[in-house]
Amino acid sequence: MYVRFWGVRGSIAAPLTNEALSAKIEAAVKLALKAGLTDDWQVSEFIKELPWHVRQTAGGDTACIEIQAGGKLLILDAGTGFRRLGLDLIQRSMGSPIEAHILITHTHWDHISGIPFFAPAFMPDNALTFYSPYSGLEDRLNHQQNPEYFPVPLAPAFKFVHLNERERFQIGDVTVETFPLNHPGGSYSYRITQDDKMFIYATDSEYQGLSADSLKPFADFFNGADLLIFDAQYTMLENVEKENWGHSNVFTGIDMALEAGVKRIAFTHHEPAYDDEKLGEILHKAKEYLNINQPEAGLQLYLASEGFSMTL
Amino acid sequence: MKITESVKDNVSQVYIKGRFDAHTCETVDAYIREKMEKGRHQFVLNMEKVPFIDSAGLRVVLVIARDLRGEYQGDLRFAILQPAVNKVFEISGLNNVLRIFDDAETAAQSFSE
Repeated sequence: MYVRFWGVRGSIAAPLTNEALSAKIEAAVKLALKAGLTDDWQVSEFIKELPWHVRQTAGGDTACIEIQAGGKLLILDAGTGFRRLGLDLIQRSMGSPIEAHILITHTHWDHISGIPFFAPAFMPDNALTFYSPYSGLEDRLNHQQNPEYFPVPLAPAFKFVHLNERERFQIGDVTVETFPLNHPGGSYSYRITQDDKMFIYATDSEYQGLSADSLKPFADFFNGADLLIFDAQYTMLENVEKENWGHSNVFTGIDMALEAGVKRIAFTHHEPAYDDEKLGEILHKAKEYLNINQPEAGLQLYLASEGFSMTL
Repeated sequence: MKITESVKDNVSQVYIKGRFDAHTCETVDAYIREKMEKGRHQFVLNMEKVPFIDSAGLRVVLVIARDLRGEYQGDLRFAILQPAVNKVFEISGLNNVLRIFDDAETAAQSFSE
């Protein structure tokens, strides 16, 4: 099972600013001077050693993840990252029809705003199916492309499958299951299993009751996952300040992953106000927390970033 | 988890013993909220016998402190954090918003300042 992140930002797209880019260049050049680089051949190795927030960016596009499993293409959410995924799919397909199964967690803008710009939808041979527990998904997506908001209506290529709140179904050899999360207006987690590999996407969820009993239904759904994608938009303090906003934090994610016996957790739905340095710091603190509270745990922690991929 | 209390000059010293985690956080929460409902609004949580705190414990103390400050002009303050717990407070940023003291007496006296 192959997983690739195309959009990791929450709430609204947050492109890298010129100021932030300049700061990265300045930091890199200062470190290069300090390292005493003298030849071109030293540069690529030097860049690899730079702090993550200097050499890379988490990215500014909103929620979209690509899964390749059992010969099927599954896409989780269709935020602004969905646009670039569409362009990449066209290039990869080299003219062959594209079959994509698109699982929507909920219809807040950061999870659907890439749909009007998904180029494969304008090619009639492609088979593109949306899945969601929202019975009115088609209406909602049509409204998004009403002429008041967008000049082109929703592409007729899209088909719709309505799921139940808790449903288990097959896409070829791939098993997909749904589970409701805690978010204003609702959100759904997807568990995707193929052969002996299990992937969970659990974004846009707040966990106010953190007792073992309260968390048990979630831990049961996450149980034994090879990879859990977890909403960690806020710090612990912000999570309390922004109660009922429907998001979580890295510490809660770690404890839930440990309780559920998850092997890897990737934090996503990054707060748009956070720059790369802050996101790097959040991951660093998450690793410190795990090291203090469960140093023997084999849980691996990742910060989701655009282009980051993993094979389970 | 074992919880006891002693009260002096309207300040409640709450002693907890054991891991403060998803399995015990509701016990601490219920204990302090019961005292709050009875009119107690100044608390010192004595953490000398707490070797471990996780995100569930952190959230409980943050929400109680927020409610005490916002609704009752009271507070939840902390005494004698074990090194591992102190580090978790630092990592999670709680030490920036909660008042933490090296000993219980100073923590209690801080309510008279």
